[in-house]
Amino acid sequence: MAKENTQTVALDTSDDSKVAGHFKRNRFAYFFGALVIAAGTGIRIYLDTMGFTVGTDYYSEEFQKYWMPVLYGELILLSSFTVILSVYCWMTRETDASSISKELELSRYWKLLGIFTVMGIWAGCVASNAVESDAAWHQVTIRDTDFTPTHIVIFYFALPFLTAMLIPAFIWTHTRIPAYMNKISVPFLAVVCGILMIMPNYGFNEWGHTFFYAEELFAAPIHYGFVFLGWSLFFLVPLAMQLIGNMARLIAETTADDYQPAA
Amino acid sequence: MSEANASGLAETEVKARALDLKSLDNPRAMKLYRRFDGIIILVLFTFLVLGIQIQFTLTAGDWDYWIDWRDRRWWPLVAPFSLLLFIAPFTYGIWERVRLPIMATAVTTLLCLVSWLSRYLNFYEFTHFPLSFTFPSTYIGLGILLDCALAISRSLIVSTLIGGGLFGALVYPINWSFMAPYKVPVEFNGMLMSVADMMGYQYIRTTTPEYLRIIEESTLRTFGGSVTPLTAVFSALCGMVVYAAFLWVGYKINGLDKFTKRIV
Repeated sequence: MAKENTQTVALDTSDDSKVAGHFKRNRFAYFFGALVIAAGTGIRIYLDTMGFTVGTDYYSEEFQKYWMPVLYGELILLSSFTVILSVYCWMTRETDASSISKELELSRYWKLLGIFTVMGIWAGCVASNAVESDAAWHQVTIRDTDFTPTHIVIFYFALPFLTAMLIPAFIWTHTRIPAYMNKISVPFLAVVCGILMIMPNYGFNEWGHTFFYAEELFAAPIHYGFVFLGWSLFFLVPLAMQLIGNMARLIAETTADDYQPAA
Repeated sequence: MSEANASGLAETEVKARALDLKSLDNPRAMKLYRRFDGIIILVLFTFLVLGIQIQFTLTAGDWDYWIDWRDRRWWPLVAPFSLLLFIAPFTYGIWERVRLPIMATAVTTLLCLVSWLSRYLNFYEFTHFPLSFTFPSTYIGLGILLDCALAISRSLIVSTLIGGGLFGALVYPINWSFMAPYKVPVEFNGMLMSVADMMGYQYIRTTTPEYLRIIEESTLRTFGGSVTPLTAVFSALCGMVVYAAFLWVGYKINGLDKFTKRIV
C-alpha cells in the first residue's frame, strides 16, 4: 500500500514583510536563477577572452589546452546533471496521487513555475545570446571542425543545458503532480522533445558544413532543422493553458475557506 | 456518474465554475492569481526570446545583421515572412484562450531588445563590426498594427487580411528613418554606390563571400523606382498567406492541449 504523504505546506507566509516574503517564497528561483546567470556570464567572458586568441585553430596546442577541457567538462557536467536528477526524480516518485493534499499539490505547481523561471532565464539571457555569437563568429572565421569556441558554448552547453533541466522537470512533474501522474502531457512532451532533438540535428547541420569551410548558399537550408525544432516552443501556449486551468482551480479551492461575502 | 444540468454541464463542472467565480471576490485568491500571472508571463516571454532569436537569425538573419543587405527586394519580403510565421501560432493560442491581442507586439518588442543586446555583445564587442553597420531593424510598429487589427476587429480572418497585409507592406517605410542616411549615393573609384554598400566593402566579412549577398538580384532593371512599392504589395500578400497558414498551425497545436496514456 502506498505510504501516505504527510508533508504539510503553508500557502502563504503572511507574517513576513512583502519584500522578505517575496524573496522567501521565490528563493529557489532567485538562487538558481543567479547561479545560471553566473554560469552564463562566466562562459561568455571566457568566450570573449579566449575565442579569437586561442580558439581559431582546432589543431593547435592552445586549442587543446584551453578549449577541449571546457568541452569535456560541459559534457560530463550536463550528462551527470541530467542522469542523476532524472534518476532521483524517478526513484523518489509518488505512487499514490490520492495521498497528495490540494495545498501540497498547489505548492508543487509553484515549484514547477520556479523551475520554468530558471529555465526561462537561461533561455532568454544565455541561450538566445549564444545563437548570434555563433552567427557572428562564422561571418569572420573559417570553420575548421565542429569544435569551434562558439559551438562549444552553444551546442554543448547553452542549448543542452535547457534539455538537462527540461528532462528532470518533465519527470518531476509527471511523478509529483496528480493531474500529470499516470499519463503524459502532450504539449510538455513536445517542448522537451523539440529542444532535445536540437542535439541530433546538430549532426545534420555540421555534415552539411563539411562540404566547404566558408559560408555558402547550400549552408542556409541545413539550418532550417533548428528552426523547425524551435517551433516546439509553440507548444508552450497549450502547456501554459494546462497549468493555468489546474492552478486556477486549485487556488479557488484552497482559498475558498477565506471567502467572506460582502454583507 | 455526475448528472448533467440544463446547459449540458456536469454538476461537478457547475460547482467548479461557481467556485472560480467566487474566488474573484477573494483577495487572497486574487493575490495568488496575480502572482501566477506574473510568473507565467515571465516564463513565456523569456522562452519567446530564444524562439524568435533562433527563428529570425536562421531565416532572415543576414538581412537584419547588415545595413547593406537591407535592400528593396528581399529584406522587406523575408523579414515579415519569418516574423509572421512565428507570431501566428502564439497569437492564435493566446487570443483563443485568454483573449489577449498582444503577441505580435510582444514578439517584435522582445526581438528588438534581444537583437540590440546581441548586436552589441556579438557583432560589436566580439567580432568588432561597427554598430552603425549591424544595428537591428525595428518591427515593433508592425506588431502593434497587427495586434490593433485583431483588437478592433476581434476576428482572426479580418486581422489576417488587414494586419497581415500591413505587416508585410510596411517594413520598408517603418524603417526608413533609420535607413535613409545609408541610401545616400556616393562615388568611389568611379563607381556609384550607396553608403551602405560602401560600408559592406570596407568591413569585410571574411568567410561570407560577396556573391552570397542576396540583394537586388537581376541583370535588367526595368521597374525603376517602383521596385519598393511592388515588393511591399507582394510582401503584403505573402504576409496574409503565411499568417493564415500558421494560424492554422496554431489551431492544430492548441488542440493538442491534452494528455495521453502512451507515447506511441
